[in-house]
Amino acid sequence: MTSDNDRRRGLLARLRERPAARSRGRRRLGAAVRLIAALMLAGGAYTVFAPGAQAQDNPQLTGAAAEGKALFDVSCVTCHGRNAQGVEGRGPSLIGVGAASVEFQVSSGRMPLARQEAQAHRKPPVFTDEQTRQLAQYIQELGGGPVVPEGDDLREDGNVAAGGELFRINCSQCHAFGGGGGALSSGKFAPSLHPATDRQIYAAMLSGPQNMPVFGDNQLRPEQKADIIAYIQETLKHDQDPGGFNLGRYGPSTEGLAIFLVGIVALVFASLWIAGKS
Amino acid sequence: MSPHTEHQASQGREPLDVNDPRLTRFDIVREGAHRDDIEIVHYEPQVLPGTKAERRLTRVVAGFFLITGLAATAFLAIYIWWPWQYEPGRGGDKFYTPLLGLTLGVALLAVGFGILTWGKKLLPKEVSIQDRHEGQVDKESRTITGQTMLYMADELGVKRRPLLGISLLAGLAPVAAVAAAPLVGGLISQPHKNNQMFTTGFAMPEGGQRIRLVREDGRPIRPADISTGGQLTVFPGIDHGVSNKHADSPTLLIHLRDSDAQESRRANERIGHGDYMWGNYAAFSKICTHAGCPASLFEQQTNRLLCPCHQSQFLITDNARPIFGPASRRLPQLPIEVDSEGFFVAKSDYTETVGPDFWERP
Amino acid sequence: MKRRKFDLAATPGKAAAGVDDRFAVATPLRKLLNKVFPDHWSFLLGEIALFSFVVLLLTGVFLTFFFEPAMTEVVYDGSYAPLQGTPMSAAYASSLDISFDVRGGLVMRQMHHWAALLFMAAIVVHMLRIFFTGAFRKPRETNWIIGSLLFWVGFLAGFTGYSLPDDGLSGTGLRIASAIMLSIPVIGSWVTSSIFGGEFPGTIIISRFFIAHVLLIPGLLVALISVHLGLVFTQKHTQWPGPGRTNNNVVGERMFPRYALKQGGFFMVVFGVIALMGGLFQINPIWLFGPYEAWVVSAASQPDWYVMFLDGSTRLMPAWEISIPLGDGYVIPPLFWPTVVLPGILVGLSTMYPFLEARQRKDYRSHNLLERPRDAPARTAVGAMAVAFYIVLTLSGANDVIADKFQISLNAMTWAGRIGLLVAPPLAYYVTYRLCLGLQQHDREVLAHGVETGIIRRMPDGRFVEVHQPLSASNGHADGHGQLDYVGWVVPKKMNRLGALGPAIRGFFYPIEKPVEAPVSPGHPPVEARPEREEVGSGESRH
Repeated sequence: MTSDNDRRRGLLARLRERPAARSRGRRRLGAAVRLIAALMLAGGAYTVFAPGAQAQDNPQLTGAAAEGKALFDVSCVTCHGRNAQGVEGRGPSLIGVGAASVEFQVSSGRMPLARQEAQAHRKPPVFTDEQTRQLAQYIQELGGGPVVPEGDDLREDGNVAAGGELFRINCSQCHAFGGGGGALSSGKFAPSLHPATDRQIYAAMLSGPQNMPVFGDNQLRPEQKADIIAYIQETLKHDQDPGGFNLGRYGPSTEGLAIFLVGIVALVFASLWIAGKS
Repeated sequence: MSPHTEHQASQGREPLDVNDPRLTRFDIVREGAHRDDIEIVHYEPQVLPGTKAERRLTRVVAGFFLITGLAATAFLAIYIWWPWQYEPGRGGDKFYTPLLGLTLGVALLAVGFGILTWGKKLLPKEVSIQDRHEGQVDKESRTITGQTMLYMADELGVKRRPLLGISLLAGLAPVAAVAAAPLVGGLISQPHKNNQMFTTGFAMPEGGQRIRLVREDGRPIRPADISTGGQLTVFPGIDHGVSNKHADSPTLLIHLRDSDAQESRRANERIGHGDYMWGNYAAFSKICTHAGCPASLFEQQTNRLLCPCHQSQFLITDNARPIFGPASRRLPQLPIEVDSEGFFVAKSDYTETVGPDFWERP
Repeated sequence: MKRRKFDLAATPGKAAAGVDDRFAVATPLRKLLNKVFPDHWSFLLGEIALFSFVVLLLTGVFLTFFFEPAMTEVVYDGSYAPLQGTPMSAAYASSLDISFDVRGGLVMRQMHHWAALLFMAAIVVHMLRIFFTGAFRKPRETNWIIGSLLFWVGFLAGFTGYSLPDDGLSGTGLRIASAIMLSIPVIGSWVTSSIFGGEFPGTIIISRFFIAHVLLIPGLLVALISVHLGLVFTQKHTQWPGPGRTNNNVVGERMFPRYALKQGGFFMVVFGVIALMGGLFQINPIWLFGPYEAWVVSAASQPDWYVMFLDGSTRLMPAWEISIPLGDGYVIPPLFWPTVVLPGILVGLSTMYPFLEARQRKDYRSHNLLERPRDAPARTAVGAMAVAFYIVLTLSGANDVIADKFQISLNAMTWAGRIGLLVAPPLAYYVTYRLCLGLQQHDREVLAHGVETGIIRRMPDGRFVEVHQPLSASNGHADGHGQLDYVGWVVPKKMNRLGALGPAIRGFFYPIEKPVEAPVSPGHPPVEARPEREEVGSGESRH
C-alpha cells in the first residue's frame, strides 16, 4: 500500500519536477527559461500535430536523433508520451533529463519497463549501443540535460584511495561496502554495482536515477567521479579477495549462517562418528 | 588377550593383594578400578593381535599421520615461498591464505582422525560402571563438619560479644569502598562538561562568526554545488570539524525540488522553524536520534531518509519526522543561510539535541 | 654395560616412585585415570566450545604481538593501496598490517574470528542439548547458571573483539553500544561518559576494550570454564537411561586411554575445521569498510550473529518513547527496552529456569538420568518457544539483507518480524507439545502391541491386519503377549532394530545391514530395566 502511494507520489513528482533535475546551479535561471520554452514548444507542437500528423520530419533533429525518435515512437511512447512529455500515471516526462539518464536506463535494460513496480530492475538491454545512443541523442535534443563524456573508460588516472574515501562517504550507505547493493524503504533498493559499466556509473551519478540522489559535476568533479569509478571497478570488482571465498560480502549475516551450516554441521557429524558404536 | 568379561563379585569383597606375583597387569588395573567403585563389565579387543584387520587399521592410522606430515610440510613451503603480498591492480594473492588454511586444516584434521581411529578402532571396547554415591552423603561427616564450624563460631564468641562483629563490619565497609574508589573515581567523567551533550561543532564561539558548512576536504559550499535532488554531507568549518572529535556534527545538506521545498517550508513554519531553510536547501543532522548511526540513505523522490542500522525512516519534507521504525524523535534541523561571500553558514547551533536520546534530554 | 641397560629400563619406574614419594600423586592419579564417562554424540557439543576457546587463546596471543590498541591518528602507508594516505587510528592501521603486511597474519585473524563465532555457536547448541534433555536439574543447577553466564561473558568478549579493529563496521557497532548505554534512565549519560572517557567516541575506548578483551574477559572465561568443568567432574556426567543405567551409576568408558584419546582427536578436528574456515572463507574484510568515521556507514551494517538477536529486537521495537514531564522533562528512549531490559529478562529467566521448573513439577530429587525431550512435553515446548523467539529476533537482525536479496519490502520484513515475534512462540509451543505427546503415544503402542512387521494377514472374517512382533513373551494376557514398561529410552520401531543395543549409530553415511548379533555386554535386550548392580556381563563372546 505504502509503496503504491510512494510510486504515485514519485511519478507525480517526476512529472512535475524532472525538468529541474538538469539544471546545474550556475545555469539554473537560463535552464529554467529554456525549459519553459521547450515545454511550451513541445506542448504547442503537440496540440498542432496531435490529431495524427507524424512528427518524423522534425527539421530540428539531427540524423541520429531522428533515428532515436523513430525508436522512441515504437518502444517508449506508450508510457512517456508523444515527444517524451510523459503520461499521467504511467511514465514521467523526459524533457530535460538528458542523455545521461537515457543512457543509464536503457543500457542497463531498466527501460523499457517490464511491469509497474516499486522500482525498475536491471535486465538484458533491449536496444543495441547504437540505438541507445540514438535515443539519448533524441532526448538530449528535445530538452537538454547532463551528458556522459565520450569513451568507455571513464576512470583514467583515477586514484583508488581518493575514490574509496568518496565511495564510503557518498555511496556505501546504500550500495554497501562491497558494492552489492542494499534495501531502501518499502520495497525500493539500491542495486548492485557489479554489473555496471563505467558509463553507467557515471550516468547514474549525473542523473540520479529513481531514488538515487544526484551527484552533479558541481558536487563531484569529473576527476572525483573517475576516482569513484576506479575504486568500484578496480578495488571492489577486480581485486582478488585475499581471505578466501567472500561469502557474498553480505557482512556478518552470511558469516553467521556459515558457522552453523559449515562449522557446527561438520563438527556434529564428527561427534556422531566419534561417539558412534560402529 | 581374551576378553575380560568374566563375572565379578563386586561389593563387600576383600581387596586383592596387588603384590601377589600371580596377578596379571589387567588384574591390578581392575583392582584399581574396584577401589574407585568401578566395575569393568565388558572389555573386549576389537582387533586381535596379528590379524589382517589389525594390520589394515594400523596402516590407516599411520596413513593419517603421514598425511599430517605432508600437509604440514606443504604449509611451511607455502608460507615461505608463495608470493603473498598485496599488489596494486591485482589485490592480495587469492590463494595464499586459503592454501595456508587448507594445509593447516588438513594437517590438523588428519592427526585428529588418526588419533580418533586409533582410539576408536584399535583400542579394546569397554563398558564400565561406576558408582555415583548419589544420595549417600556421609551423614557423619556432615555432622562433624557442622559441629566443628559451630564450635569455631562459639570460640570466636561473636554471639556473646556482638560489638566485635559490628565493629568489624563497620571497619571493613570503608575498606571495600577504598578498593572501589580509585576505579570509580578514575573512570567517572562528567557528561555535561562544557554542555557537550547539547552542543555541536556548529555552536558559535563567543562573539565569533557564524560557522561555515564545509565538505569532507574542508572546502566551503556554495548553493550551486548541489544539484536539485542532490545531498551532501557537510561538517562545521572549524578545527577538527571533519573528524571523530565532532562525531555529533555531521550534517546532511539537501537540495529539494521546488514543490518538496514548499512542503518542507510549510512544515517548518508549523513548528516555528520558518527560517531554517535557505531557498530550497535544508540541513538535517546525519546522526540518527535512535542509536546514533549516520541516517544517510536519502531517497530523492520520496524524500525519505533511511537509517541503515535499524531502518528508522524519516520524512524530510515533514521536519524529518520518523514515519517508520524504532526512532521516536525527528532529526534536528540546522538553521542555515548564505553569507556575504556566497557560502553556506549555520545561523546558529542546532536548536534540538543531536544524536541518540538519553534521560535528561529536555 | 649390562647393569646400565637394566637401569635404563627401570628409570621411568624409579622416577615415578620418586615423584610419588614427594607429592603423593598415586591415589588421586588413579582416581583420575579411573573416571568413567558416558559416551553419546550430544555430550561432545560442549567440547566444541571448549576447544574453540583454546584456539581463541592461541590465535589471540599471536594477534596481540601485532595489534596496537591506540586511537592515535596515523596516515596509513602499508601495502594495501586503496587506503594509502588515508588518515586512520593506529588500531585500524595495525589491523590492516596484520591482514596485509604480517606474513600469515590474515589467516590467523580469520581463524580467531571464526573460532569466536564457533565458540558462541557451540555454547548455544550445547545449551540447547542441556535444556532439552533436562540435564540442568538438581544437582546441576549451578553449572547451568555458570553456563548461561558463559554465554553472556562470551558475548562481551565477542563484542569487545569486534570493536577493536576500529573499522567502519565496528565503529558503527560501538556507536550503537554507546547509544544503548545512554538510554539507561537516570545514569545513562554518566555511564557512557565514564566508559568512553567523555563524549563518543573519545580517544580511550579502544585501549579500554583491549585490556578487557585480552585480560579481564578471558580471565573471567577461564575461571568460569574451570569451575564448569570441575563441577562436571565432581558431579559426574549425566547419562541416558538404558540397560544397566540407573540414577546411581555411570555406564561408559574409563577416561584413559580410549576416552581421552578420542577427546584429543576431537580437539584436533575442531582446530582443523577452524583452520579450514579461517583459510577458505573470508570473514570481516575490514579493509573494505574503511576507518571508522562518524559520518560513514555501510548498508547492511550488522553485528556478529550472536548479537544479531538484540539488533533484531531493536529493529522491531515500535517507537514508544516515555516522556516524564517533570522539571525540564525526562525521557526513556525506545532503545532502552529491547537492548537493556530484554537481555536482563533473558538472563533472569534462563538462570532461574531450573528452580522454576522444579517448583512447577514439585520435583526436588536429584536426577542423573536424562529425559528424552518427548517425555517432558512442557519443557520441550517451552524450549521450542524460546528458540522460535530467538530465531525471529536473529532473522530480524538481518532483515535488510533478507529484504534486499529476496526482494521483499523492508517495511514488510519489519512488520513480519513484529507479528512473528508474537505469533511464532505460542505456535511453536503448541506444535511441539502435540508432537511430544504423539511420539510418546507411539512408543507406548509399540511397547504394548509390538513392532510393525509389514506383514499383512487376512483374517477369516475378511479383515486385513498387520502382524506385530511383540517385544516380550506372552504372560497370559488376553491379547497373547505382555506389556512392557517404558523406561525412558529408544523403543525399537523397526524389525531390524530389535536386539540392537541402545542408540547404536549403525552406518551413518550408508546403512550397514548386519545380521542381528548376539548381544554382548551389558547383555540384555534394551527395554528391561536392570536391577541394581549385581552380576553383570554377558558371559559370552563373539570370539
